Amino acid sequence: MDHSTPLLEARNISKSFGGIRVLDAVTFDVRAGEVHALVGENGAGKSTLMNVVSGVVRPDAGELLWDNHPVRLDGPRDARALGISFVHQELALVPQLSVAENVFLGRHPTARGLVSFREMHARTEQAMGELGHRIDSRRPVAELSLAERQIVEIVRAVAFESRLIIMDEATAPLADRDAEALFRAIRLLRARGVALIFISHRLREIFEISDRVTVLRDGKHVLTQPASRVTHEELVRAMIGTELKERLGSAVAGSAQSEEVLRIQGSLSLTVHRGEIVGLAGLAGAGRTRLLEWLFGAARPHGKNTGEAAREVLVSGRRLTLHRPVEAIRNGLALVPDDRKTKGLILGASVLNNIALASGRTRFFIRRSQEERAAQHWIGALRIKTAGLSQPVIHLSGGTQQKVVLAKWLLAGARVFLLDEPTRGIDVGAKAEIYDMIRTLAGGGAAVLMASSELEELMGVADRIVVMHRGRIAGELARAEATEEKIMHLATGGAD
Amino acid sequence: MSGAARPAPAAKPGHALSPASLLRRFGPLLGLLILCGALGGASDRFLTADNLLNVCRQSAVNALVSLGQLAVIITAGIDLSVGSILGFCCVMVALLMHAGVPPPISMAAALAIGAALGAINGILLTKLHLPHPFIPTLGMMNVARGLALVISGGFPVSELPRSFRFWGAGSIGWIPAPVIVVMLFCGAFYVFLSRTTIGRDIYAIGGNPQAARLSGVPVDARLVLVYAVSGFTAAAGAIVLAGRMNSGFPLAGVGSELDSIAAVVIGGASFLGGVGTVSGTLVGALIMGVLRNGLNLLNVSAAWQTVVIGVVIVAAVWVDIVRQRAAERGGG
Repeated sequence: MDHSTPLLEARNISKSFGGIRVLDAVTFDVRAGEVHALVGENGAGKSTLMNVVSGVVRPDAGELLWDNHPVRLDGPRDARALGISFVHQELALVPQLSVAENVFLGRHPTARGLVSFREMHARTEQAMGELGHRIDSRRPVAELSLAERQIVEIVRAVAFESRLIIMDEATAPLADRDAEALFRAIRLLRARGVALIFISHRLREIFEISDRVTVLRDGKHVLTQPASRVTHEELVRAMIGTELKERLGSAVAGSAQSEEVLRIQGSLSLTVHRGEIVGLAGLAGAGRTRLLEWLFGAARPHGKNTGEAAREVLVSGRRLTLHRPVEAIRNGLALVPDDRKTKGLILGASVLNNIALASGRTRFFIRRSQEERAAQHWIGALRIKTAGLSQPVIHLSGGTQQKVVLAKWLLAGARVFLLDEPTRGIDVGAKAEIYDMIRTLAGGGAAVLMASSELEELMGVADRIVVMHRGRIAGELARAEATEEKIMHLATGGAD
Repeated sequence: MSGAARPAPAAKPGHALSPASLLRRFGPLLGLLILCGALGGASDRFLTADNLLNVCRQSAVNALVSLGQLAVIITAGIDLSVGSILGFCCVMVALLMHAGVPPPISMAAALAIGAALGAINGILLTKLHLPHPFIPTLGMMNVARGLALVISGGFPVSELPRSFRFWGAGSIGWIPAPVIVVMLFCGAFYVFLSRTTIGRDIYAIGGNPQAARLSGVPVDARLVLVYAVSGFTAAAGAIVLAGRMNSGFPLAGVGSELDSIAAVVIGGASFLGGVGTVSGTLVGALIMGVLRNGLNLLNVSAAWQTVVIGVVIVAAVWVDIVRQRAAERGGG
């Protein structure tokens, strides 16, 4: 196979939605046996470009070439027929069905008009083996971890001998180690001559896995370079258009004060002081989300682990038993959940109703004008980009949505912030803003406990990093001594 | 704060007055007016004051039941038991008065019974963790209807006190008493749903129960309240109906759960929850009443009326979906 000519080439693609130009004469290509990373802030046009390539969206202008021949895609079916597979950000699997049934969803192999389960399982196991994975093809997808589900999606692409696989934010929900398993699969596919387009907000991964990288900004092509010839800084600058260096990490967080605000006692013990940002690291399944939701009164203690391990919770020196979120809120706690769409926001409701939801609970009547004034205050203070208080939050970008969640808690007067993956799925520019806000919160005397799967982020923001392993605290590192190696050592169960 | 709190100037009025949002707001009302115009053209007896007041009187029971159903549907639920609760309360209130209980106390008792049966629905839903409100309310639908037949022996309980019949058949001046009851309930529901924190909780639960819980909304307590409210309005419907018919009959309200659901969805509420208004629901109930009345005047048989109403329900929701898609395209 000739590796220098492109397998797929998109030339001068333009697309507008309702008068807004989303893609402006973008040219992009991907070769067989290459991982081509596509980066850009939310709204840069990545998704639209990929939708054009996979036949979901018809471009207004420009042409697509497949193996140097012009092609016209009238729908996803046409793209699939060429051998283009799309591994979506929101996984498109049916939880109740088995792995094999999901892999062959809509294209079951048949024998005499009946589904041939034997062939289905055999082909699934074979494809799985080629990727170096062992997942029982008869298990229901509901039982699989997120990482395993990603693998199933990729197996689906492999089973149909896809020549081009598009991965949209495939690693976003994965912890670093699970992402590594995904990368192994990607490398194997690349070696077999499959072309891959890889979309991610985690720049470190892009350097790790991709051969070339293309940056889009505001619907325009900014650069295409071999990944080895571009630096982290250059990429960030290309994405956001300006230098952002000083915002991304050099600032020293508000020096921790001595007053203890949050304390968990027991074999799982943890303290957070006034003005302090404590990071919570750990692999997927280490129990970080569980711990935060349990602290907030929203989850049962983790079986035997957290429940017995952490017997007492003290907030500002007072011993509390929190059974329901409303009690936690009354005591000044706030939870920014790991998934803002399913846990953090009422997507169809307005900005105002989302911000006001946790406040004024003791009153019967809503004090509308007072509420609107307060909401406007936080919209200004957090620089929330919205057309107005009545705009539904579903139309806002990820970073703006996360600010709405923060505004809700600020309005409710929270002093202890439990942040679970606060920057997941948020673009680089908005991430920097969220980091600023977290530091400002701490500077203002709040206590912050922040879980993240991105080690860079924890090392850049937190004063201390607590590492969890299997529902327990595996160790603690001060900001100065924390390195990725040390964190991973603790997170994988290594001794202190 | 003063600098930060500046609202985006043009955005807000522009948002409220865009054609799509106007249509969303007044679409059902527009449908009602067109319907009235068409029926007025087809029959010269339709657009008379007497007939229109009659339509309002006939729509009152469905309008009352629909208000409770609206609260339930906003939480993404459904209440199949309202028709049977209506029937049970209808018999109950008549039996109490026959037993010599004064009408006001009988009515209060019927309302309390309705609310209690509704609350049981809510408790079954939240405490037994039944998978969907369909199940507990389907159970209650059968239980309450069965009990209505048991306590009445299957026969209507007729000849009710004059002061009680006022609520169904009386008038104040030229305004029918049931219409006044509906207006009072509508006002109370409007304030309850859009001006109280509990009302906001109800919309939030329908929009995203998980996020509502994590924002401190006592989801279970609110759901029990909502189903109790639905039982309460069904009992109010029972009082108006028994007053109008001068009888408490055990098969009262058969099918009215479906009529109320129809009124709510024609009025623009979504089965997915989080959306729905009192005014839309009132218009929905009126559309149903106007259709029945108009088709009667045109001598359309009851069988064909049912067919027409079925078509109207589906068409109304379809129009709503088309409208929403148009709004999303315009706004998104």
